[in-house]
Amino acid sequence: MGAGQSTDRRHGPDAQANRGEMRLKREATAGSVDRSDALVRVQPGTGLAVSVRTRTGPMDEEHIATVVRDALSGYGVENAHVEVEEAGAYDHVILARLEAALSRSVGSEEPFRSPLPRPDRQPTLRDRPRRTRLYVPGANARLLAFADSFGPDCLLLDLEDAVAPSEKDSARFLVRRALATMDFGATELWVRINPLDAGGADDVALVVAGHPHGICLPKAEDPAEVRALADLLSSVEAAYSVPWPLWIMPIIESPRGVLAAADIAGASERVVCLAFGAEDYTREVGAQRSWEALLWARSQLVASAKAAGIQASDTVFPNVEDEEGLREEARRARELGFDGKGVIHPLQIAIVHDAFAPNAAEVAWARGVVEAAAQGGRGVVAHEGRMIDRPVLERAKRILEQVGEGTDAD
Amino acid sequence: MPTNAVGREIPATVAGRALRPYQGAFATVPAGRRAGGPLKTIRPREDKVAPSLEDAIRRSGLRDGMTISFHHCFRDGDRLVLQVVEACARLGIGDLRLFPTALFPCHEPLVRHIEAGVLTRIEGSMNGPIGAFVSQGGKLREPPILRSHGGRWRAVACGEVEIDVAFIAASEADPWGNANGIHGPHACGPISFSVVDSWCANHVVVVTDHLVPYPAVPPTIEQGYVDQVAVVDQVGDPAGIVTGTLRITRSPTQLKIAELAVRAVEAAGLVRDGMSFQAGAGGISLAALEFLSQRMRATGARAAFAIGGTTRYLVGMLNEGLVGTILDGQAFDEEAIASLRANPRHQPITPGFYADYNSLGCATYMLDFAFLGGTEVDLEFNVNVNTHSDGQLLHGIGGHQDVASGAGVTVITLPTLRGRVPMIRDRVTTVTTPGEVVDLVVTERGIAVNPRRSDLAADLRRAGLPVRTLAEMKEAAERLVGERRKPVFGDEIVGIIQWRDGTVIDVVRKVEGWR
Repeated sequence: MGAGQSTDRRHGPDAQANRGEMRLKREATAGSVDRSDALVRVQPGTGLAVSVRTRTGPMDEEHIATVVRDALSGYGVENAHVEVEEAGAYDHVILARLEAALSRSVGSEEPFRSPLPRPDRQPTLRDRPRRTRLYVPGANARLLAFADSFGPDCLLLDLEDAVAPSEKDSARFLVRRALATMDFGATELWVRINPLDAGGADDVALVVAGHPHGICLPKAEDPAEVRALADLLSSVEAAYSVPWPLWIMPIIESPRGVLAAADIAGASERVVCLAFGAEDYTREVGAQRSWEALLWARSQLVASAKAAGIQASDTVFPNVEDEEGLREEARRARELGFDGKGVIHPLQIAIVHDAFAPNAAEVAWARGVVEAAAQGGRGVVAHEGRMIDRPVLERAKRILEQVGEGTDAD
Repeated sequence: MPTNAVGREIPATVAGRALRPYQGAFATVPAGRRAGGPLKTIRPREDKVAPSLEDAIRRSGLRDGMTISFHHCFRDGDRLVLQVVEACARLGIGDLRLFPTALFPCHEPLVRHIEAGVLTRIEGSMNGPIGAFVSQGGKLREPPILRSHGGRWRAVACGEVEIDVAFIAASEADPWGNANGIHGPHACGPISFSVVDSWCANHVVVVTDHLVPYPAVPPTIEQGYVDQVAVVDQVGDPAGIVTGTLRITRSPTQLKIAELAVRAVEAAGLVRDGMSFQAGAGGISLAALEFLSQRMRATGARAAFAIGGTTRYLVGMLNEGLVGTILDGQAFDEEAIASLRANPRHQPITPGFYADYNSLGCATYMLDFAFLGGTEVDLEFNVNVNTHSDGQLLHGIGGHQDVASGAGVTVITLPTLRGRVPMIRDRVTTVTTPGEVVDLVVTERGIAVNPRRSDLAADLRRAGLPVRTLAEMKEAAERLVGERRKPVFGDEIVGIIQWRDGTVIDVVRKVEGWR
C-alpha cells in the first residue's frame, strides 16, 4: 500500500516540468459511447494524428481536437494515433478518458500525478452542517454530468463499491477531472477511495489534484488505517498545494468497525465525521435490516463520534421510492444524535434536510441566544438562565442559518 | 431589412407573399369577418359514402395546385396523410400544398412525393425527418409556414389559408359524416383540430376505418359540413400517439427541474384552491404533475381546471378530485381517451376554444400557470422550440405560444446542457415565443426571473429558492463544454415562424456553413 506514497515522493506532482517524451507502448481505450461519455482509443504511431467523431457534427469537432492536442502536448506525447468518439461528453470527461487511455497504454499513472489548474473553491469548517452525503458513482459520466447541481451538504464521489474492478483507474481520472473542473458551490466534496491496500493509495495520489475537501475511508476497522491515510494526506496535500487540511470521514460498516468506533473517531485530527454503512454490517452480523437490529450499532457510533467531538452521519436509506420510510428513518436518526444521513438519489436530499431542520423550539431558543448576545456585548451573557459561551452562540447562529435567518448580509 | 419587435430581420415578402412583422404579443387588432365554406344543400337519404378513398379524391374535384388538410391526432401513428398523398400521385394530381396540423417521423416517405413534385408546399408543424429534409433548402416552392395550434385555427377561420379538400381521419363515423376520435377500434382522442377545417374547406372528406349506423356520437365533426365519407382499412395506429410520453422520468436532473418548477409556482402563491394550470406530456412536465399532486394533497388545494394534452397522470388527478375539469385538446395515451368517453368533467375542446387570437375567449387566458419546454432560451427570455442550435428545423410550435401568452406565470423548464449543447444562448437560433410572455426559466442550476416580474423574484427569494440570472447559468454551463462553432445562415428562407396573430416572429434560414 505504500506504493502510492513512495512514488509520490520520487516522481511527485512537483516534477511536472521535467517532461520528456511520453512513449505509448500499446493500444488502449477508455470510456464508452454511453450518453455524456466519450470513448478514447490511443495507439503508438509516427507523428500525432487526432480524429474526432461527435454526436453534434461540425460544431464541436474542432474544439475537441484542440483540447485533445493541447493535453497530448502537455503530457509530452509526440507519436500517437488518437481517436475520440463522443456522445455528449464535457471537455473534462474527454480529457479524463484520454488520460486513462494514455496511462493504460504506458502502464503507469505516475506521469499523471501532477497538479491541475486550481479550482476556485473555499475550505470548509470542521463542524459545518453535514445533513446529507450524496453518493455518486465515480465511473459514470452520465450521473456525474449534473452532479454539480443537486446541492447536498456533502457530495461523495465513489471510487469503491460503485465502480467495477476493471474501471477503477478510469474512474479515478474522471473523478479527478470533475473535481478540478466543476463548480459545486457550497457543497463539501468528498471522494470515497478504495481500501488503502486495494487501490486506495493510488486513488489518493490522483484525485487530490482536484482539491476535494476530504476523503472517505471505507470499511474502517482499525485506527491505524486512519493514521496511515492521514500520513498519506499530509504528504500529498503539500505536493498538490491543497490550501486546506483534507478531512477524513471513516465509514464504519462492520462489527469490528463498530467496536473500534471510538478509537477510529479519535485517530486523527482530520477525522470530522463518522459515517455508518448498514448494508455490510447487517450482512456480517447476520441480522435482518430493521431499526431495532441496528439500534445498538447506531448508538455506539453516535456516542463514539460525540465523545471525540465530531459528527455522526447515518447510513443510506436504500429504497428511493419510499419517501415516507426515508422521512421516518431520518427523523429517528436525528433523535438518536446523528447530524446527517447518506442519500443515494438527489430527490432524497430535500427530505433529509427537512428532517434535520431545526424545529420551532430550537429556532426560538437560537433567536433568543443571538439577541441576548447582541445586547450583552462583550460581558458574560445569559439566556433563560444559562450562560452563553462561544460554542453555544455558534450553535444558535448555525440553527438560524439553516432556517434562512443567517446574520450574513445578503 | 426591417426588424420586428424581437429584433429579427423579416423580409417584406417571401415567394410573393407579404409578411407582416411581429409587433408585440397583443398588438394586432383583427379586422374583417370570419371565413366559411361554400353554401351547399343535400336531399333526404342521399348517399355520401364513396366507393374508395381514390374515388372520394376524384369526386372532390381535387386538382393540381390545390390545398389538402389533415389533423395530427394519431401523431406518429397516422396512416391517412400517406394514403391520400399516394392516391393523389396515382391519380396524377400534383403541385399540392400540404396543410396538416403536424407531421411526425412516420411521414418520412413524403420525401419521395416532395421530390416527385406531388407536394410543392407545406404549411404545418414538421417534427423530425421532414423538417430536417426541408431545412436543406430548395425542396419546396415556397418556404413552409409554421403556426401554433391557435395560429392555425385563426389562419383557417379568417381565410388566410383556403383549404380545397379537408381529409379528416375519424376512428368512428356514420354514413353522413358525423365523426369522432374517441370510439372505434383505433381511437385517438378528440379530433377537434379539424373542426375549423370542416367549417371552412371547400370540400370535406371524412375517412374512417369504423363506419357505424347513423348517428355516430359525439359528432365532433358534424354531418352538415361533410361532403363525402370514405372507408379505409386503417386510418391510424393508436400506439403511435404515446411516443415518448409513457412514464415519468427517472432522470435526477429532470426531476430536480420539475421539483423546482413546482416549488416556484407554490412560492408565487399559485398552489391554491380554484387554481388552473397546463402541463404537457414531456418528461419534465409529467414529473411536475407528480410533484404538484403531492403539494396539492399536502395543502388541500384543488384545481378548478387543467388544460391537456392529457395523459394518464392528469386523468389520475381528475379521478382523485385534485382537478375539477380537464379541458382537452389532445390525448396522449389510451387512459386519456377512455376518460374522454366516460367522464363528463373531461371535456374535449377545439383550438378555437383554447388558443385562437381572433376570439373573445381563450381558455389559456384563464390559466394561473403553465409548464412549457424548449430547445433553447436566450438572455431576453425568448424561447425556441422549432430549431436546434445547428439550425435544423425539427419541431412544431404546438400550443407553446398560445399557452405562454395566456398563463399568469409561464414557466419554461429545460436543462442548461443537453450533452455538449448549451440551452441558454445569447440569442436563440429561432424565436418561437417572445420573452415578453415568459416569466420564469427553471433549470437544474436555479430559477431565472424575467425582470418584468420583480414581484415573483421577491416571492421566490422569500421561499429560499435559488434565484439566478440566465447569464450566470449560461456561463456555468459553457465552462464545461468550451467554444463551439456556430452555423452560418444564408439568405434562403426554409421556414417562416408565425406568431399566433399571423405576424412573423422569425424566419429560419438555410445553413450554409460553420464559423
